[in-house]
Amino acid sequence: MASNISKPESKVVWFVKGKSLGLVSTYSTSGTSRTDRKRWQAVDHAVSDGLLLHYWSDPKKVAAITETPDIDNAFHLALVDYIKMCLYMDRAGSTSGEMSAVSLQLSQMHRAKFEESVRRFGNRRREKVGGVRSILPYNFQ
Amino acid sequence: MAVHSLTAKQIISRIRQVFPDAPEAYILSLLNDALVEAGLYSTKSMTAKVDVTADKMFYALDDSAKDASNNALELNKIYRVDFMDDDGDYIKIPRLLDGETLMFDITSESAGIEQPD
Repeated sequence: MASNISKPESKVVWFVKGKSLGLVSTYSTSGTSRTDRKRWQAVDHAVSDGLLLHYWSDPKKVAAITETPDIDNAFHLALVDYIKMCLYMDRAGSTSGEMSAVSLQLSQMHRAKFEESVRRFGNRRREKVGGVRSILPYNFQ
Repeated sequence: MAVHSLTAKQIISRIRQVFPDAPEAYILSLLNDALVEAGLYSTKSMTAKVDVTADKMFYALDDSAKDASNNALELNKIYRVDFMDDDGDYIKIPRLLDGETLMFDITSESAGIEQPD
């Protein structure tokens, strides 16, 4: 069922408040005019599938060893780095002397590799846009 | 030819090259920690439809939030919202950056905005 709103781009806005999506509109199905102070209110009619959300999602949990992690395969080696980071950290804490120091260094190395892969280059590695990126310079004339 | 990817079993075997005694359950737990951590950095893009309810201002986005087909949203960050117009087409709507509407509708909400018990 379509909504009653003909041009939502100028009558409906969204915002995020804590863990909620806020949706307000100036449209009134009854045709009554809203005063300027209270013209942004909740949408006053129900719309099945009325919102289409585009978002970054949590990957699904891996429950069995036969499953493949629910994340682009470009990040699979980064997952190995994260696990090694944790295990070397455990070893550093459970040993002493040179073994502990080496484990700590290796843990930090794997942390750096994980962060570089996921945080720093995450988007660029995964994105499906091909070709040269170019920026049109501003015309000062 | 299929794209190369690693199953959890293959990841465990790679870990055991260095840590042969690491328990499988512990590695799986760390793997899920890694997925949560990686999920914070824009790694998995999704699109979901949500029903609009009359006179409802706030829609839950927390871990229990569901889409119109009752599937878990598993949402981290929203970057675009479309609203269905009178032709049934989805049109991008603007985001109100500060989220500070003059009128705050608390009475019509059953979910989303937390109130003291």
